[in-house]
Amino acid sequence: MDFKALVENRHEYAKAWKAKTGGKVLGWFEPYFPEEVAYAAGVLPVRVLAKHEPDDVSDKWIYASCYPVRDMVNQFLKGRYDYMDGLVNVEGCQWMYNAFEVAVNNKRKPDLFDHYFFLPDHTDAPTSKHVTRSELNVFKGKMEEWTGKKITDADLDKAIEVYNKNRLLLKQISELRRMEKPVIHGAEMMNIVLADQVMDKAEMNEILEKFIPELEAREPGKDRIRLMLIGSETFDTELEELVEALGGDVVVDELDNGTGYYWNNIIPQKDRLMAIGLKYLGRPKNPIKDNNWRRRPQHIFELAEDYNVDGALVVKQIYCHLHGTDNYAVWKILRERYIPYHFFERDMLLPVEDTTLRLESFMNMLKPGINHLAGWHKVFGED
Amino acid sequence: MSNGQIWETRPLEFWNKAKELRAGWQKSIESKEKVVGQGNTFDLSFDWQAAFPALTIIEDNPVGAMMQNKNEPYARKARLASEIRGWGREICGYQGNCWGGQFLGYIEDGTPWPRRKFVVPMPCVCDQHAKRGQQARDFENMPQWMSDRLMYFGDYDAEREVPMMEHKVYCNFRQVNDIERIFGQRFDEEECIKLMEAGKETREYSKEIAYIMARTIPTPISVKDMYSVYTIGGLTKVDPAATVAFWKMVRDEIKWRADNQIAAVGNERFRWIEAHPPSWHYMKYYRYMEDYGAVCMGSQYSNGGANNYFMLPDGTFELRTDNTYPDDMPLETREDVLRKGAGIHARPTGGFKTDEYVYRDKIVQFAKFNQADGALLAIWRHGVGCTLTRKEQAMYLRDAGLSVMHYEGSQPGDRTDLDEKRLLDQLDTWMQSLGLRKSQK
Repeated sequence: MDFKALVENRHEYAKAWKAKTGGKVLGWFEPYFPEEVAYAAGVLPVRVLAKHEPDDVSDKWIYASCYPVRDMVNQFLKGRYDYMDGLVNVEGCQWMYNAFEVAVNNKRKPDLFDHYFFLPDHTDAPTSKHVTRSELNVFKGKMEEWTGKKITDADLDKAIEVYNKNRLLLKQISELRRMEKPVIHGAEMMNIVLADQVMDKAEMNEILEKFIPELEAREPGKDRIRLMLIGSETFDTELEELVEALGGDVVVDELDNGTGYYWNNIIPQKDRLMAIGLKYLGRPKNPIKDNNWRRRPQHIFELAEDYNVDGALVVKQIYCHLHGTDNYAVWKILRERYIPYHFFERDMLLPVEDTTLRLESFMNMLKPGINHLAGWHKVFGED
Repeated sequence: MSNGQIWETRPLEFWNKAKELRAGWQKSIESKEKVVGQGNTFDLSFDWQAAFPALTIIEDNPVGAMMQNKNEPYARKARLASEIRGWGREICGYQGNCWGGQFLGYIEDGTPWPRRKFVVPMPCVCDQHAKRGQQARDFENMPQWMSDRLMYFGDYDAEREVPMMEHKVYCNFRQVNDIERIFGQRFDEEECIKLMEAGKETREYSKEIAYIMARTIPTPISVKDMYSVYTIGGLTKVDPAATVAFWKMVRDEIKWRADNQIAAVGNERFRWIEAHPPSWHYMKYYRYMEDYGAVCMGSQYSNGGANNYFMLPDGTFELRTDNTYPDDMPLETREDVLRKGAGIHARPTGGFKTDEYVYRDKIVQFAKFNQADGALLAIWRHGVGCTLTRKEQAMYLRDAGLSVMHYEGSQPGDRTDLDEKRLLDQLDTWMQSLGLRKSQK
């Protein structure tokens, strides 16, 4: 399966889905969006992904945003997302919020449904879950009103089942990256996760169920430098592909739209909305939601340990204030736990020559100290 | 077009009182007997900290702004210290300055950095606010309490408000109780009630001042003057009775000036607004504009009182419903007191951030309320919360017939990227393109 093609053809996919089902497409921006509720209403939730193309329109509306947000606005203003019937944003990154607002306020589609979902930034208070549950209930009502369909407990159960299964399948694939010689590399994995965010989950589940046995039957790859990707969200796999071209592999990431997207599941309970709310409050924290206790650095460390990484790439989008404010705590834990890392800033486009040189230099620095390349894995019979 | 003096103008008489109150506050934060906290906290609209017997709050924003305003080499050194620790470009100047000052261990006059004992980041829709407490806690190993700036779009929504209000009250309640327990200080509810009452009185004066300022031609006070005093009773914490007395003094003087056509700017012929804080290190541009007879009426940020008015279809202005409970609300427990303090609405009403986010074209109402002809909207590379909606607001203002100009800089508390000469050139071009000429001195 060519998952990259699925990502690239996402607009055509959504349009075809609409034509086939007669349903509505709901674009979403922030990774804390509880898709299950929209799915239960028969709506197709589709992640708004940035895609770079020459931008001659966004500057009228926004200033100094991170480049993915500028590209999203550029796309909205040029009609690339005109097939979306509604948009929803969850309290989170302000730049993303602004993309949402511009997409709504530019009046390109006057009948566009829109909703702002408040998921507390302070996720740790005992009252946070009640706010989230209430917001879920409000959103459920909005979906019912918008679609004219009553969302029953059975609908929610079905949506939870589909989404839980989907996350489990993604995690199953992710587990294969823990192998000494993974059968799937970072670029392909990221394309799977990005495709997952723009497709009907039931259909994606069927694809993944067929894909996993194929994956397991693959010959192990060759020894590669194992890297972890940390930082701002990514919307393509250019960086992962560059790493692979240099003999490395992003074996795990900590991105909001990477592992963060599928890492935890909904634990069913009678109060379905509370169950959904607890899942989203409890997902791996991004910087805005990790503003109380420091949970994110420890999570990063645990991923690094579990996936036996040789080093980490900490990559921040220019103008990403949240990661900019969090990075020092990430660097600190990486230093304390002897995990080499390389930090750089990027925008939607990677300067290929510069980045190649820097990555190559970083990976060369790692090589002499890498135990798995010296053959330790053979002791455990992995070959 | 002639630019000579049109109206009489006089120095402000409340000026000396303001300086006296400000000096008293400075002395109080230098006192060794008090617990010094960082942040504004609680999302309460009154000076809650004074209900503890020995507790002082220092807010990053005015401290960071003052560092840049008073001592550029020191502010730069502080930001360098911050950069070395891991924060660099695109970080809010207030935070860069304050974090750097903390790392350096001294303030701009060389005296020791006033070490905080706890931190409570002010709940704000600005992402930088939400993240600012952690590094202080990490550095000093001190407690931090969080809460949320509660937000939704559209009209008041009772269903969404109920759990949001419980969340807000819980966060405030926990903070008060924890501060009591950890620092051994008793929170005095009776004192808190007095503070709330004082806060309400001050807000009433603020509304009146904003109305007189906006609706009188010539305006009796400009925002340049207002900025010298506007923190008194808020960020500059003084005795509640003194706060009320001060703002009554301000109201009385401004009303008298309006009644007698005493102008802030004697050649007023162009009124302009802003959207957010000015470059605190370069406030010269206000006076520069006054040479053209252009007076700054402030912003939704500076003129909190003005945000309480909304425009009716006939173009007149009416006060919004206040977010406070009735005066006779029974107050028998601490929870009652904190609930009253939190106000009726969990989502703040009339706050400039709420207006900016939820009602993006409210800036047009603000401009009309102030009878403004133009707007100078700064766009800050390092200030996410200070910049977010600026371009869109400019479009709405232009549609409403105002002349709009932008200028760029780093952030109100960071001088790095502001080209001051270029700004003045831009102002000249802007004013002259509108047919205005500098007054002959």
